[in-house]
Amino acid sequence: MSQDYTRFSVSQRLQHIFMFVPFIILVLTGFPIKFPDSSFWSVVMSAVGGIEVARSIHRFAAAVMIIDFGFHILYIFYNLFKNKPSFSELKLVPNKKDGQDIIKNLKYFLFLSDERPRFHKFSYLEKFDYWAVFWGMFIMAGSGLVLWFPVEISRFLPGVVIQIAYVAHSDEALLAFLAITIWHFYNVHFNPRVWPANKVWFQGTLTEEEMEHEHPLELAEIKAKQETSK
Amino acid sequence: MPDMNFKCSKILTLWILLFAVLTVQGQQADAENCNLCHGLAMFGMTGPGNSIRSLEVTADAYSHSTHRNVICRDCHTDINQFPHPETVQKVECAKACHITKPFAMTGYSHLEQSEAHAISAHGDKAAYSAEKNAAKPDCKYCHSNKFRTVIKDDVLSENSKHCVRCHEGAGLAGVILHVSSHSSHRSAEASVAVVELCSSCHADQTHMKDFDVNLTQVEGYERHFHGKALKRGLDQVANCMDCHRNHLNLPADDPNSSIHPNNIQQTCSANSYCHSNATAQFAAAAIHSEPTSKNNPIIFFTEWAFIILTAGTMALLFAHILLDFGRWAGDAWMGRKKR
Repeated sequence: MSQDYTRFSVSQRLQHIFMFVPFIILVLTGFPIKFPDSSFWSVVMSAVGGIEVARSIHRFAAAVMIIDFGFHILYIFYNLFKNKPSFSELKLVPNKKDGQDIIKNLKYFLFLSDERPRFHKFSYLEKFDYWAVFWGMFIMAGSGLVLWFPVEISRFLPGVVIQIAYVAHSDEALLAFLAITIWHFYNVHFNPRVWPANKVWFQGTLTEEEMEHEHPLELAEIKAKQETSK
Repeated sequence: MPDMNFKCSKILTLWILLFAVLTVQGQQADAENCNLCHGLAMFGMTGPGNSIRSLEVTADAYSHSTHRNVICRDCHTDINQFPHPETVQKVECAKACHITKPFAMTGYSHLEQSEAHAISAHGDKAAYSAEKNAAKPDCKYCHSNKFRTVIKDDVLSENSKHCVRCHEGAGLAGVILHVSSHSSHRSAEASVAVVELCSSCHADQTHMKDFDVNLTQVEGYERHFHGKALKRGLDQVANCMDCHRNHLNLPADDPNSSIHPNNIQQTCSANSYCHSNATAQFAAAAIHSEPTSKNNPIIFFTEWAFIILTAGTMALLFAHILLDFGRWAGDAWMGRKKR
């Protein structure tokens, strides 16, 4: 008999939603200014209400995203203090097995082997996604705040920081946009094995079959625990 | 309701009076009736080498211009006979006219602006050739009313018949022709117009190459906050003249320049709607240099680092996607039902 396994808690699912809704709004209100000559982004600019409205919306969405990220940091520390996990229990930390999994997966892709890597709770792809957003948040929020309060920042930091922030905000935004629309969307939407969508971000659960296919090691660990607690 | 009717008729009368005043105002400054001829549509003359000059001053354009209260001969001072001489002096903007400044008995003039312009980067330099000096903007380059436009000959000959009928043999017919022009007025106030005006020379590499100026300034402005926001319609954003001044436009190494390192902080904070409490460090941020490894290595290498990071990351991710898809497609093609 098959059973559903919780993958993401309500809090985690909400954190994802409060990250991606502002993300979409930030792209729609930011890219028209990054590409001022583009006719496509001109249409978007008009649709979001022109530059003055867009600037206000952009800052509001940014505030929501930063609060969400701040909450996430607190959430991590809360759980670290509450559960006091050992280092090997931190499932998002990259480890030696990720390197082995990459090689295994490449062999599988190239038909050199029919054996897919067996993942634990987070595959190397998912770890990459998580840490990419983690890095991106510091770059985007940091540079964005410098551009939001340039005069105030210049009381503490040299003027060149404003210039760096301008370059970093614009360029990192493009990287984030491409990584999400190409990489993340492939993994959760366009991948023919997943199409039309991986619903775990909303439902929060995976079926036993999905667990067996995507996170066999995690499933094995859960089952082993259930055995011992019986 | 008689009261209401009375009010209505009063308002109506006021409107009629207002329109009457507005209509008459247009004619007021033309006390010498220059528009009897110059107000004719397509009024103009041929100059040397068959060039055509429009001399039309439409009453409408004139009455809506800044100079609507200045009579023609206040500026065109050497016109004092009729027919006018064939060659006339250029208008000197620094001359005083009959308009007086409030609380001052002196005639109004643009002397102050003219003097500032003369010592500015745009003024004539003794070290430059006459040709090089002539390539710089004078008053009218920026404050043009665009009254002169070349039009086609066939339109000219048809319309010139009207003058020739009366003036045949009087010597005037040879010079007077009707030419048409659109008296479009270039506003120097909208930021977009200012940037466009300055760019008409500064973005032109062949025009600017003889002058000792940075050739990437316009490009740099357009890449930066101000330029991008302006392109998207944020008119309050700094245009060229907000930082460089209009008339007293001096190079950065001149201690009186608004963009001299000692003065930039003051320039950034000059307008309350700009960066009113700008600090020295804020003002030190370069806002329209094209970064090179020499003039701005930090920004130059930051940009390159992001280009490499973005291209490298996306290349790896894209390769992973293609390989992953390739395995799926291969399996599907070989009829293997492996997920």
